[in-house]
Amino acid sequence: MRIIFGVLFSALLLWGADATIEVRKSVDSLPSIAVEDASSDYNDGLSKRFFRVLVSDLNVLSIFNVDRDYIKAGFDDENVAVAHKEIDYVVRYQLVDDNGVMVVNVNLINNDKVMHQLNYRIKNSKQYVFMVHTIAASINDFMGADPVDWMKEKVIISRTTGPGTSEILITDYTLSYQFSVKRSGLNVFPKWADRAKKYFYYTSLSSGAPQLRKHGVYDNSDVLLLTSDGMLVCSDVRNDGKKLLLTMAPQGQPDIYEYDVASKKTKKITKYSGIDVNAQYMADGKVAFISNRLGYPNVFSKKINSQATEQMVYVGKSNSACTAHNNYIIYKARESSNAFSNNTFNLHLISTKTDFIRRLTVTGINEHPLFSRDGGTVVFVKKYKNQSSIGVIRLNQNKNYLFPLKGGAIQSIDW
Amino acid sequence: MKALLYASTITAMLVFTGCGGSEPTVDDSAANASQAEEINIVDETSAADSESGIQSTDLDGSTTLESLEAKMSPIYFEFDQYKLADEDIDTLRQNAELIQGDAEAMNIANKYSLKLEGNCDEWGSDEYNFALGLKRANAVKDELINDGVASERITLVSYGSSNPVCTEKTQECWSKNRRVDFKLLP
Repeated sequence: MRIIFGVLFSALLLWGADATIEVRKSVDSLPSIAVEDASSDYNDGLSKRFFRVLVSDLNVLSIFNVDRDYIKAGFDDENVAVAHKEIDYVVRYQLVDDNGVMVVNVNLINNDKVMHQLNYRIKNSKQYVFMVHTIAASINDFMGADPVDWMKEKVIISRTTGPGTSEILITDYTLSYQFSVKRSGLNVFPKWADRAKKYFYYTSLSSGAPQLRKHGVYDNSDVLLLTSDGMLVCSDVRNDGKKLLLTMAPQGQPDIYEYDVASKKTKKITKYSGIDVNAQYMADGKVAFISNRLGYPNVFSKKINSQATEQMVYVGKSNSACTAHNNYIIYKARESSNAFSNNTFNLHLISTKTDFIRRLTVTGINEHPLFSRDGGTVVFVKKYKNQSSIGVIRLNQNKNYLFPLKGGAIQSIDW
Repeated sequence: MKALLYASTITAMLVFTGCGGSEPTVDDSAANASQAEEINIVDETSAADSESGIQSTDLDGSTTLESLEAKMSPIYFEFDQYKLADEDIDTLRQNAELIQGDAEAMNIANKYSLKLEGNCDEWGSDEYNFALGLKRANAVKDELINDGVASERITLVSYGSSNPVCTEKTQECWSKNRRVDFKLLP
């Protein structure tokens, strides 16, 4: 697996009501798990890639100590491989070619007894990584751990391919699967239109003024929604998909607007002579956003129909991006007085209910944070030493993982 | 003479029919390889070709927008800033004179519009960086209006960090990317 594995803290966080609080315990108490390949129909290349992704997923679950050695076995063998005698759990999988349909049989074995069985079919074997993520999530649920449904989600990224050019890709959270949906021009800030993920919004900078467009993944439709001088970005989509938060600049002045998908009408949310961008829906009809109204970028919030704004972060002099989930906000901060030092931009987690701040990253440029729907996991984009990666933070487990992109840089991400 | 006639005939056949001897085929390997039944690849090459830029069309028979645009110096900015420095004011005044004076002298002033492209260095690809590029372009626009350029002739766009002129990892290179470019559009 092409993962550069970044476990930044070798500790676990006990489940707590406040995700900003870190509580650590030893990883030694985790049960061990190993994987055995019982496939014969598919060539070693595919079954070994399947193995590597599965081992990676089991590791990201953060509930096992994962053995990484590749071992073949018979699917119906009564005993686990000799090398796995001391292992607590063994996942044995078998890939079967059923007239072009890929079938996967999985047994979760404990003390030579099958504890959990799974069977999946997929028409297109190129999408096998999503099947692996589904298997890992099912094992996770069987073990009674925090849900990891986010693993199965399709991710959409914009990848810069050169000056003034980019590509929009649909991928999985590990970047193992990649499918190009927009190959040329300069298209940035893709955002899923709804939970079904059949459509996405994006900003086209390929011709004239910036355009907000809606693209159909399956029907290939591509509809122009809005045009604005200067800049036009879909910052957030409300959970029901009916309203969008936009940054627009019709008179060259970047402010926040709300767009009603049904009526196609926009409503101005902020009015400030500096910069207001990056609005995110919060609980109770509020939005969090970035503004430089204090002379430097910082996180503020306001009710959509109110003029009053509230400063959300009181630490740092350059907090230039944020994401929100109910009462939690993650913001990107430039910490160093040297603008070009190695640890320039890091992510921090705050709760609107407490004064605690939790630092989530330590090196490189870390940006575009996004919460999972359950709020327990964060994905973000990391740029470090000419490498662009998707980062995953398991907040309650206090673990970080990195999945690097081969070629180009990730401009933005949504999942 | 006969040999020349044969040669001309063969040449004409090649020109009008092409050199390929086989039937034209449609390459659908990409669709087969990428489960097109679920996700379609869109090739927007034609859209990319229409990307804004200067056409090489002579407007007055002796000069082009390209040559006028080439005379306009980009305006550069400090890290995380969008305020113009004093020397930038002078540069902008020169650009405004080009836009007004030279263009009017060449009788092309009313035949093009000015597009200001705001850009940032690679330190961040988020919305704030795009807004920073936009504010830089807007600061240039305000100064050009002060120098007499009509506001309705000016459009703005920010490319954030997506359109660098230099890709090396040096401070000198990054400073070249914190800029506003001038594009003249017919």
